Amino acid sequence: MVSVTRRLLLLALLLPALSAIAQSAGREAEVKIKAAFLYKFGDFVEWPPSALERSGGRFTIGVLGADDIAAELERVVAERTIKGRPVSVRRIRRGDSLANLHMLFVGRSESLRLGEIMSATDGQPVLTVTETENALASGSMINFIAVDDKVRFDVALAPAGRGQLKISARLLAVARKVVAA
Amino acid sequence: MRTAHGPRLFVLAALLAAAPSAARAEDLADLSLEELANLEVTSVSRRAERLADAPASLFVITGEDIRRSGATSLPEALRLAPNLQVARIDARQYAISARGFNNAVGNKLLVLIDGRTIYTPLFSGVFWDAQDTLLEDIERIEVISGPGATQWGANAVNGVINVITRRATGTVGTVAEAGFGNLERGVAARQGFALEGGGAVRVYGKFFEGQHGVRANGAAVPDEWHNGQAGFRGDWGAAASQFTLQGDAYRGSDQQGTTGADAHFSGANVLARWNRQLAATERLQLQAYIDNTTRDVPGSFGERLDTLDLDLQHGFQALPGHALTWGGGHRRSYDHVTNSATLAFLPASKTLKWTNAFLQDEITLQERLRLTLGAKMESNPYTGWEFLPSLRLAWKPEPSELVWGALSRAVRAPSRLDRELFAPGQPPFFLAGGPDFRSEIAKVFELGYRAQPSARLSYSVTGFYAIYDHLRTVEPAGAGTFVLGNKMEGKTRGLESWGTYQVSRAWRLSAGALFLTEDLRVKPGSGDITGIAAAGNDPKHQFTLRSSLDLTSEQQLDLMARRVGELPNPRVPAYTAVDARFAWRLRRDFEASATLQNMFDRRHAEFGAAASRLEIERGLFLRLKWSP
Repeated sequence: MVSVTRRLLLLALLLPALSAIAQSAGREAEVKIKAAFLYKFGDFVEWPPSALERSGGRFTIGVLGADDIAAELERVVAERTIKGRPVSVRRIRRGDSLANLHMLFVGRSESLRLGEIMSATDGQPVLTVTETENALASGSMINFIAVDDKVRFDVALAPAGRGQLKISARLLAVARKVVAA
Repeated sequence: MRTAHGPRLFVLAALLAAAPSAARAEDLADLSLEELANLEVTSVSRRAERLADAPASLFVITGEDIRRSGATSLPEALRLAPNLQVARIDARQYAISARGFNNAVGNKLLVLIDGRTIYTPLFSGVFWDAQDTLLEDIERIEVISGPGATQWGANAVNGVINVITRRATGTVGTVAEAGFGNLERGVAARQGFALEGGGAVRVYGKFFEGQHGVRANGAAVPDEWHNGQAGFRGDWGAAASQFTLQGDAYRGSDQQGTTGADAHFSGANVLARWNRQLAATERLQLQAYIDNTTRDVPGSFGERLDTLDLDLQHGFQALPGHALTWGGGHRRSYDHVTNSATLAFLPASKTLKWTNAFLQDEITLQERLRLTLGAKMESNPYTGWEFLPSLRLAWKPEPSELVWGALSRAVRAPSRLDRELFAPGQPPFFLAGGPDFRSEIAKVFELGYRAQPSARLSYSVTGFYAIYDHLRTVEPAGAGTFVLGNKMEGKTRGLESWGTYQVSRAWRLSAGALFLTEDLRVKPGSGDITGIAAAGNDPKHQFTLRSSLDLTSEQQLDLMARRVGELPNPRVPAYTAVDARFAWRLRRDFEASATLQNMFDRRHAEFGAAASRLEIERGLFLRLKWSP
């Protein structure tokens, strides 16, 4: 028989561990939702046909500064297609080339370099997605934000227009905010 | 040996926490954009797990389902639940029940909107014409068929309907819509504001009016109606401490056939709720509301009902493997009835009080086996304390499978109608109340199986067997007078099943089937004059089939067919009704939709005797929705 004190001790030890699990489950869920969104965005954005022909016919998503999202996205797209094409997820490190991408996700850890990264892709048919406050001001097209424990996003139309990307009405309808600039 | 338990337990806990989220990984990408945007990060695994693991016959109507159905009222939205019987009586009235006993004054279902009980203590049923909210802002409707008395109290004998609206923080912005059709027309608008320093508030208003109904021979019956409602909801705080304040006010009227003056109803309510997450496994909820409702039906009765309700719930991990929930509540109503020459509630004015306390322990017997023991004690104004226990067992042989069973005792406590209804309005009375009317009792056995064999397919099957006693009868009391008594008993048994198949990312099929056998009888020694037909009028089977298709990213086509079996007494023929909705998002902020109800028949009856009943006509409804 395990004594009552021993049980209470065990409980005291377990509780912090359980709450740590609960918290990491929160981040885990956020990663899954964001990865699912990135995959879904492909259906609701039109790229110029010439852009889709690049990268050997594969739809290529670059992920910078968010290995957890990259890993989840790799799982999500493993047996799925975007625009009828197989999907590659490319983990990008600082200084890597940003050429031949269709979509680029920049994680929070790269927030200080956001302006620099966005100007490198400006005018290119690359859908840029971020998860940093005020990222639209740096030239990002779609920015995730947490609203009331939910993952929502804002959309900036001008940079998408410069990249010849057409964002569908349905995607805009789900956005929390759409800005023209 | 003993010391080895620690780490092993820890690993087990980690596995348990990880398993459900891993199982959902593939699913998320199959959700629609809208669904993804509405997932809650903190509960994505926990809530999904909770619904899939609930040891009860639970069906969830999502807000998206309601919007795609084109429904314009709560009762029409409830047709989406395969475990409910919904029969339209006329333009405004519905008979809604689960597991039989369906009736215009059905009394075995508990209905709540955001935690506020909306059944009337007058007859323990719902005046559906006065219950509304902005359908656009409904998050989900949880429909439980079967007893929920231990959690929800007396009256939750055959089911619980729980309408949950979205938090105001999720409805910032404007929505305005206008709709018109051959049977009804209306306008509705909502404006949500984010507040400085967190939190949000929304206000809404809506106005609807409906055309007169028709009889089987096509003759018009003047029962035009209109209803206006306005309300607000504010939410503050994050998961650790959430505060909600909400309220509604409504006013409407129904034309009373050719008999005379219009009937009027109006009301208002305010509710405050405070949720605290004290620790990872400990939460506290406090809720209070006041509700006023009045109804004036010239020639039969008038009522003014004022209610105050207080409720407390506290859940915590008492010991490893024991999740305890306890709580209590008190409700008091002041009910004043204006009697007429036709009928009288005596005494005309009455203060009604209910008090309850409950305790529930969810015990993890083994990794895959959970036992939930619960009991509620509830006092009512007529029979004092009632005991409402239940036992539920849930076994998960695989993460995607659940086998559950339940034993429950539920009680329908007397309503004012059971004890205090007299007819005519003055002596000598033909019906002289029910001085000895006692609670109706149900003992219910349930067995269910739920599975999600693949990311695309999920289904649920529930079998039930219920023993009822002390059901309402009308007994002779000598000298040509009658009183209400409890001399009917019986058994019901049946099967509820439904499933969903995601054919492709853009196309989803859902189906449901209900089978019900009722075996009721009046006990020997009873002189009952109404017979078992008074207990309810139910089909032996009901089938639904629904298809939700995204034609393009801007166009949706939804079809829903339902087949409802014949009602025996009074006889209502079986019918099949097919509804369709086509929606086209013309611009980012603008959607047009058309809903066609009863596509293939000009009109059909759903409830009531042939001579007096109204029929439900084919209806076309066009709606424009603007959401900048």
